[in-house]
Amino acid sequence: METRKPTRRRETEDRRPEGLVSPVEGFNERARRAVRDGDLHDSVELFTNKSVAGRNAVLNALPEAPGLRERAYHIKQETMANLDRYLGQMADAVEGRGGNVFFADTGEDVVRYIGDLARRKGAKVLTKSKSMATEEIELNRRLEEDYADLDLEIVETDLGEWIAQLAGDTPSHIVGPILHMNRRRIADVLSGVAGEELPPDVEALGSFARRRLREKFLTADIGITGANFGVAETGTIATVTNEGNGRLVTSVPPVHVVVMGIEKLVPRFEDLSVFVRLLARSGTGQKLTVYTNFVTGPRAPGEIDGAEEFHLILMDNGRSELLGTEFEEALYCIRCGACLNVCPVYRQTGGHAYGSTYSGPIGAVITPLLKGGKEAKDLPHASSLCGACWEACPVGIPLHDLLLKLRNKQVREGVAGKAQGLAFKGFENTMKNPALYKISGKAGRLARKPLAKAGAKDGIPKTLPGPLGAWTNGRDLPELAPKPFRELWKEGI
Amino acid sequence: MADRAEFLEKVRHRTQRGRYKPTHAPDVAWTPKDEPPREDPRIEDPPARFLQELEALGGHGKRVTNLGEVREYVLSLARGREAKLLVRWDVPELEELGADGPLEEAGVEVAVWRGLEDFREVAGKADIGLSTAEWAIAETGTLVLEGGRGKGRSVTLLPPTYVAVVPVEKILRTVPEAIEKYAAGYAAGGAAGLPANVCLHTGPSRSGDIEMSLFVGMHGPGDVHVLLMG
Ligand code: SF4
Repeated sequence: METRKPTRRRETEDRRPEGLVSPVEGFNERARRAVRDGDLHDSVELFTNKSVAGRNAVLNALPEAPGLRERAYHIKQETMANLDRYLGQMADAVEGRGGNVFFADTGEDVVRYIGDLARRKGAKVLTKSKSMATEEIELNRRLEEDYADLDLEIVETDLGEWIAQLAGDTPSHIVGPILHMNRRRIADVLSGVAGEELPPDVEALGSFARRRLREKFLTADIGITGANFGVAETGTIATVTNEGNGRLVTSVPPVHVVVMGIEKLVPRFEDLSVFVRLLARSGTGQKLTVYTNFVTGPRAPGEIDGAEEFHLILMDNGRSELLGTEFEEALYCIRCGACLNVCPVYRQTGGHAYGSTYSGPIGAVITPLLKGGKEAKDLPHASSLCGACWEACPVGIPLHDLLLKLRNKQVREGVAGKAQGLAFKGFENTMKNPALYKISGKAGRLARKPLAKAGAKDGIPKTLPGPLGAWTNGRDLPELAPKPFRELWKEGI
Repeated sequence: MADRAEFLEKVRHRTQRGRYKPTHAPDVAWTPKDEPPREDPRIEDPPARFLQELEALGGHGKRVTNLGEVREYVLSLARGREAKLLVRWDVPELEELGADGPLEEAGVEVAVWRGLEDFREVAGKADIGLSTAEWAIAETGTLVLEGGRGKGRSVTLLPPTYVAVVPVEKILRTVPEAIEKYAAGYAAGGAAGLPANVCLHTGPSRSGDIEMSLFVGMHGPGDVHVLLMG
């Protein structure tokens, strides 16, 4: 059965300049529905459990993981403190390699730049590799609408993103965009495109997608990617994909456009060795993503493939507002999705309830900050403040702390976010029922150890979610919330 | 539309306004463990480790001692896959390999990555791609592929079957070692020390987007072979 997704964006008349028009408001209502959706629950559980187990295994096997995490945090801290300098350095490096650089204040600027470029090039087909930054600004829809005369065909090439695009759906997880769809639903969607009945079989569906998208890769005029990381020193863009679409989109079309949030910078090339490892291990439980691809400018003289033209768009879209504020750490995020997978709220509601490109704990933090506190006022309350997100985060972002600060900010500004207590009857029951909250395997066993102690002390339910303790063997959890979880919960947080 | 100077000035202003300094060093959460690490950081036998990692990812690896063996492997692979067209990098090592003649005799057309009018046509049609690699990484079963003259990115990407030949001396132990090579290359030679494309390619292309079930050969090759020579 299809997930009940939030109403489509088009209903919203107010097209905010940032392009952020999706209905963030109404988290509680959507969450309440999501919690009762059994199919959705199963899908989310499958994805998050598998992800958590895979990730624990590879992170535990890397002895230097804690050190890497600390380095990652400090590198990002240093980057943000000197962001203007590093951005300038990056721009110089890219131009030095014959690339073009464009500074975009808003999503609108990005749309204009790409639309005008497509017009100049007489482009028809644009292939895209998965990019949360372009999702955030709804690039596809806006290009299609604002540049309707160009009749652009914009094709997502990540399998999940493509299926979501065909279904008129939005991603529900940073890493697993269509985890909310089961294979029958996917077969329906692809059968519609194929013009024949495809069986709900992974081989058949995958092969069909490969054939269909291959045509697009080969005929695309412009390739658009995001950036997992951008290196200030060298002007290098790092994209990671398992499917190979990131490498294809940057290798085959004659023009490559990168849309990169300004917070994706790292200062030095060697910093990549910290981040690509943490991202692969935290995000997908791999030692390295299959295609960890570094592109520095357009193709070199003598090369036959690779883009002839390279455009880097450095996008602010609200990010710089956080610099130097108590929310700055939200910019350290590498979009690995780990915090979503361990979050007791996300695990119950899935991603669409958040009504934002970014869901889970990082979404609850970043959405109100980027979109303005009013519209997203319930999101800072979409958390149990259990701290599992912070523990999971490979950059050590204190997400629970940022959520508390956001709530304080709401109080200061007189914005009343809705308490979620009433909205979550079903969820609350699950939280109380150990059998429903079992995480399989080693993670589960480890998780119970430190928490059992904490539970004895603070009266926290012994069944608190998350693979906590997988990294904290033999340690008590630090005190995370000023009040024990259960009390906060009773108060409706 | 933002002007560069204005944009950077805005950012600079904002980085400096803050009295706020992030204080949450993350060390409390991921404490080092007492139990011995399961991944051996020393990696006693890099070629063996490379092959083991690659196999675990569903790739095929083999250690060979001479070019004759490489030729044999490529030929029998081409027969096994009923290949009609093989595309290969234009590099001295693959000239020396001398597989083109025998392949043509076996009915497999060989396209070399030079002076191509439409590379999409060639690489998109080829059944097998053949290349060398700059480095291989033992820890992860990774090939480090550089772009450059004669070294088409598409060769390693578009054909469903992909073969790489790497001398054992080119095996590095860890990912940081490989990245360090390019960091050092850039430090020493500037742009010349860092090719326009460097790809860490680790095993067959795959997707888990449908119910987290593994689908191999999504957009890149699902059939990956690495021959370690020497
Ligand atoms: S906040 Fe941390 S855990 Fe969550 S997606 Fe970002 S990097 Fe990953």
